[in-house]
Amino acid sequence: MSTRQIKRRKSESAGVEVAHSFYVYCIGEGDVLAPLFESGLPEAIESEATLELEVNDPLAAIVSAVPRACYTEDKLQERLGDPAWMALRAMRHEKVVEHFAARATLVPLRFGSIYLERQRITNMLAEKRAQLIALLDRVRGREEWGVNILRDRLRLMEAVESVSPRLREVAARAAAASPGEAYLLRKKIDALRADEAGAEVKRVIALIESELKSASDGALRLRVLKEETAGQGDVVAKLAFLVPRARFAGFRAIAERLAEEHGQRGFQLEFTGPWPAYNFTFGEL
Amino acid sequence: MTSEELEILGESELSLLETLDHVLNLGLVVAGEITISVANIELIFVGLNLLVGSTETVYKILGKRLDNLDQSERSTDISSD
Repeated sequence: MSTRQIKRRKSESAGVEVAHSFYVYCIGEGDVLAPLFESGLPEAIESEATLELEVNDPLAAIVSAVPRACYTEDKLQERLGDPAWMALRAMRHEKVVEHFAARATLVPLRFGSIYLERQRITNMLAEKRAQLIALLDRVRGREEWGVNILRDRLRLMEAVESVSPRLREVAARAAAASPGEAYLLRKKIDALRADEAGAEVKRVIALIESELKSASDGALRLRVLKEETAGQGDVVAKLAFLVPRARFAGFRAIAERLAEEHGQRGFQLEFTGPWPAYNFTFGEL
Repeated sequence: MTSEELEILGESELSLLETLDHVLNLGLVVAGEITISVANIELIFVGLNLLVGSTETVYKILGKRLDNLDQSERSTDISSD
């Protein structure tokens, strides 16, 4: 009997034997993560699997099996068109990472780190040991906080007008001008106002960034998607900070003061967190 | 729709959007920076197209949820400049 026939018989007798890949959520220290498996665990990204620990001392990865056929590059690309599928998996991913991040120092991975063989995960832990240990030290005792800066266009325009001498001067001239001249001056006012508002946005972002940076151990500017708007206005900046837990009260106090100061002048600050340090570990591996 | 899906749709809009942003890397990936390393089919890293796809994904999810909640007003917020 050939090998192939033996294999087929085996899978037939098992009935539900499916080829698996391994999905990796996060990486931490084995001796800290192992005891966490003695109590309740969150659901894996595919609910029929359970979370497992893949160890390569001193590191370990939190993993679970996923059906290989569903987690190929092509299939996942297809899945992107299925919002309910994506949202559910993203949430499960996050819940797993948050569960462990609340109890251990972690390097969180993003959605979509998939290994075809378990052994490859062990190899990766060995190959990247030095970088992983450095990253774990970087995030130890720290959490990521997000700050979104939103602009209320109308309020900002009003605020800009009240503080800009140039604008006031042109506005006064327009009020006293002939209809034709006033039209041109009004055009000029619009352009000036847009310029000054743009400069004000940049100035405020830089100010908020530098104040919060001084209260944290790292700051990043994240990409803002063009169509990202919320009820309160347009998102003009997304910042991420790596904040030591021990210094969080100070960070928060500064954040609240900034929100109040700039709130009156057309800016709104949204704070989100604490997050596993996704933005401070991604791209470092 | 399963109860878990309903629970997720019950998350606050900000919380859902931010979670997708962090987990799917909506915010960071810039075209050209992503390597999809399928050498020896070892690690499948989904990045670049996920960015494009997931932007739409998020707004589809939000659009769907907002439609359920409050028809006209909030959907307009999302589609307007």
